Formats: sequence, C-alpha cells, structure tokens
Amino acid sequence: MNSVENVIEILEKGMADIHFVHPDDFRKFVRDRKNRGLEDKLMDEKEAVKKFVKDGDYLAYDFSSLTRGPQSLIREIIRQRKKNLWILAKFTLLESVLLAGANCVDKIDVGFLGFGPYIARKVQEGTVRVYDWSNGSVTYRLVAGAMGIPFIPARDLLGTDTLKHSGAIVIKDPFSEIPVALMPALNPDVSVIHVQEADVYGNARVYGPTVATLETAMASRRVIISAERIVETIEFREHPNWTTIPYYCVDAVVHAPFGAYPGGTQGYYEMDSEHYLMLTSIKTDEEMQKYLEEYVYSVESHDEFLEKIGFSRLRGLIQKSQILEGYR
Amino acid sequence: MPEIEFTDTEFMICNAARLLEDNKTIFVGWGIPQVVAILAEKLYAPNIVQVFEFGAIGPLSRTPFLRGTMGGPSNTYRSLQWCSMNLAFSYAQAGYVDYGMLGAAQIDRYGNINSTMIGDDYNRPKVRFPGSGGGNEVASYCWKTIIVMAHEKRRFVERCDFITSPGYKFDGKTREEAGLPAESGPYRVITSKGMFGFDEETKELKLLGVLKGLTVDDVLEDMGIKPLVADEIITLDPPTEIELKTLREEIDPFGLIISKGQKFKVEV
Repeated sequence: MNSVENVIEILEKGMADIHFVHPDDFRKFVRDRKNRGLEDKLMDEKEAVKKFVKDGDYLAYDFSSLTRGPQSLIREIIRQRKKNLWILAKFTLLESVLLAGANCVDKIDVGFLGFGPYIARKVQEGTVRVYDWSNGSVTYRLVAGAMGIPFIPARDLLGTDTLKHSGAIVIKDPFSEIPVALMPALNPDVSVIHVQEADVYGNARVYGPTVATLETAMASRRVIISAERIVETIEFREHPNWTTIPYYCVDAVVHAPFGAYPGGTQGYYEMDSEHYLMLTSIKTDEEMQKYLEEYVYSVESHDEFLEKIGFSRLRGLIQKSQILEGYR
Repeated sequence: MPEIEFTDTEFMICNAARLLEDNKTIFVGWGIPQVVAILAEKLYAPNIVQVFEFGAIGPLSRTPFLRGTMGGPSNTYRSLQWCSMNLAFSYAQAGYVDYGMLGAAQIDRYGNINSTMIGDDYNRPKVRFPGSGGGNEVASYCWKTIIVMAHEKRRFVERCDFITSPGYKFDGKTREEAGLPAESGPYRVITSKGMFGFDEETKELKLLGVLKGLTVDDVLEDMGIKPLVADEIITLDPPTEIELKTLREEIDPFGLIISKGQKFKVEV
C-alpha cells in the first residue's frame, strides 16, 4: 500500500462540540478511582449527589421518566442547585425539562429532547444549547465508552441534517469501502440510574427492558444507583445472569422506594398519570418555578417528598401494578 | 345507501394496518404507529412481531392501549425478549426488521422526514420538536419504512427545514451513496387522505391512492409540493365496520388517539 492508500478519507464532519475522554484517561481513572474492594456504598441521596455530582459535569441517566427513571436523584441534583451541566437526553421525557427549568443545564445532547412546550421554548429562545443526535447514535456512543474504545462505526445519521449537527464523522470504511459514520465514545462524568434491586456494594439488577443501563454505568466516571430495594449479595449469586451492573462500576447506592415517581417501576408501582400530566402541561417559567418550589426546593429529602405525595396515592400506584411476570 | 362515519385518524390507522404482512417484524414508533400495529395484529397479521427501541421484542399487545406508555409493563407484556436499545437497533441494522413505522412533522419529495425543528435558523428555531428519538435509526435501517402523518399542506415541502431521518436523496446524494443500507428506505406514506409510494426510477413521492369519496385534486390541493401521480389511482376503502369496532371498543375505547382529526362520512 502506498501512503495515500493508508490515509482514511474523511467525507463529512458534524459540527457539534463533543464531550470526549481519551480512552487511556478513562482507564487510568478506573484504575485509580474505582474501588474493586467490597465497600459499603449505601448513603442517602443528599450525600451521594454532593459527593459525586459537580457543577459543569456531563450527566447521563438511564431509561425514561415514564419508566424506571432516576427521578429522586434528578430532584436532588436540582435541590442542590447544580450548575452548567451538559446532559445526555437519550430517550428522555421529563428529566431535561426539570433540569432546564431549574437552570442546571447549559447543553443537551439530544436523542429525544423531552416532552412539552417548556423545553421546546428554552431551545427556541436559545437559553439551552442543543446538539442533535438520535437515540441509537448516543447509545452506541455509550457502548464505545463502555468498551474503552475511541469510537464506534454505525450506519445511522448518514444522509441527514442530524449528522451535520451532531459530532459524528463520516469516513470511507476501509473494509466495505462505503461511507460509515463514526460515533465518538461517550464517557459521562457522572450517571444516575434507578434499579429495582441493589446490594450495598452496588451490584444492581434491573427487570424489564434496559435501554442502556449497563453501558451507561460502565462508561461513566462516577455512578450513583438508586434502588427500590436493598438486597443481600447472595441474591446476585443465586441468579448471576440477572446481574445488570457489577459493583465495581458503582460509587454510591441510595435506597429510594418510589425513586422513579411520577414514573413507574416494573414490578413495584405504575406511573402517576395525573402528576405526569401536570408536569407536561407546564408552559411558563412561573409555572415551572411554582412546581419546583412545591415539589423540590421546599422538601428536604426524597422521604419528605413522598410524604407530600401521600401514602394513599402511592398505595394506589402499587395496586395498579399487577403485572409481575418477568419482574421478580 | 348506508353511510360510515369516521375520523381521518381512524382512516389513516386502518389503511396503514392493512399494509402490514403477517410473520414479519416491525419497528414501532411512539403514538399512532403503536395503535396501527395493535390493529394489524388483531385483524390482519396475528403473528407480526413488534420491536420497540427501549428493548422489547414481540410483546403481546394489551388492550385498551394505554396512551403515553413506552417501556412499562403494559407494553412490554409477555415479550419474546427484553434487551437493550443497542441490541434493538442492532437487530434492525443487521437486517432483521422488515418494517418500520414513524410519524413526521414534515416530509419532502424524496421521503426525507423532519421531527426536529421548523425554521431556517437551527440555533433559534421557530418551533422545536423533540428530535429524532429512534426515528433516524428506524428510517435508516428497516427494509421498508411506512410514514403515517396528517395530510396538511404545510407538511409537504420541497426540502424539509431539517432532515432528521433519511429518505432517498439528500443534497443531491442518493441513499446508497450516503452509505445507508442498500434496498432499504421509505416504502409508503399514509396520510389522512391518501397513500403515496416512491417512483422506482426517480425515487420521488408518488400518489398511489385516495380515500373513497375524494378526488386526486382534493388530495393534491392540500400539499405544498406537487408529487408524481400514478397512472392508475387506487380507491382506498374507508374503515370497515369491524376495523372501527376493534379500534373503538377494544383498542382505544376512550378515543384518546382515534377521535382526533376531521370527521368523514362515506357511502358504502
């Protein structure tokens, strides 16, 4: 091969800024800062967010605010008034809306921006910067981040404006000789993930579809897990192929019953449609601040939040959750 | 002559459901496509396997359809497999998914679709939508993508304000030149008034059929572009009694999705 043939041809380059971590930097971080010892990581959400979420962080979360989203941790991030976050809105519905409403967010990598007129207006006004990707391309980016490789090739985004506004690069693939999109690895600074069961060390189990639960945890420098239930480690050893996240990826474990409220969690409770509707119909900043004051700032903790929602309402959501097959 | 009354949304759903084949896989988008897939499963394609981006393969549909659920127990019920989003999309990228079904805010002559923004300044859009979601992957990877959308003038444009998901031609490049999978692409566009395909040679949008009672001109009038028109236009039957009964009594008894839109009356 001559030297010209050795050069891979770049056909197109997306214009987005990207959050990118050199694979060796990530490896060194994992070597030095992730504990392979069995350490009890159980703490409350206040301590977990204080320790592991920093202003300016790139934040990822898993699943959506309808189902198994980490809502109690998102509310705690808002309560601690974290600033200048860059968030990954993959398959997002309301996390982005609330975080933007609380002025925690500067930039959003969009798979799915979120629901309702409020977040749309933030983008229309230019108060939040967005970079458009797609659900598939951002989850592939997490795969690359989780694998410790700098990028992953895929065939989505090609032939669209989405690609132009993303941070993907199109090359001529040296094997097939067709154009292929390179998705840069994504290694978030921190991720927050809600699960059905975890032990105090951070082994975690998810029932139901996973979106990108393991990939998000593996790819992130810091990981906070909230769990409906804390279980003994022997539970994992009994069904090892049900373990979704191994403990050494995890930095903090928070016990958070109803942690996905107002969304649902499979096998535990259904979503609260009324509360949900109240959120999606928020249009103005005034309405948003009123909501945040009532449900986030004016309560001290997730426990107090649940007290405000009230037992009978929560009990009703447990009652509605009657499909158990596959969920335990 | 007896008359049948229905909304244009009901027509769209029924017409799309009739297109789906049994024993095939379909990647299902949010909202109307979910209802289409359930109707097809009930009446025309009992063994159709629905694929959802959050990671559910082949769930059994439960009725009534719960609007606004995506990933919870009621729409992942008794799946053949639960998996990750990466796996769900990879099935499609590797060729395992026959059909895809999507909505769109705008569509252009080559079947490119927009679900991102309206306006000419990306940084200050006139209207911002949620963006691709998994739409880009569905339109990129599935063998045949069906687009289901309300028939409104402003939705048909020469070039989408923002091309979120690919059709057949983008800035002069064909789908295959862009690197997208060969022999894939938009297959039908089902609207509240008609049905479109794409010309085999030029890959341009082509009117194939109109709802019974409407003329070709009725359909073309409500379009911002002039599509090709097939030599022989099919008359699309209005929803049948059994389709409407299934939709109204079983799938969406509260009319949360199907009651929207304009009402039609057609003699049958």
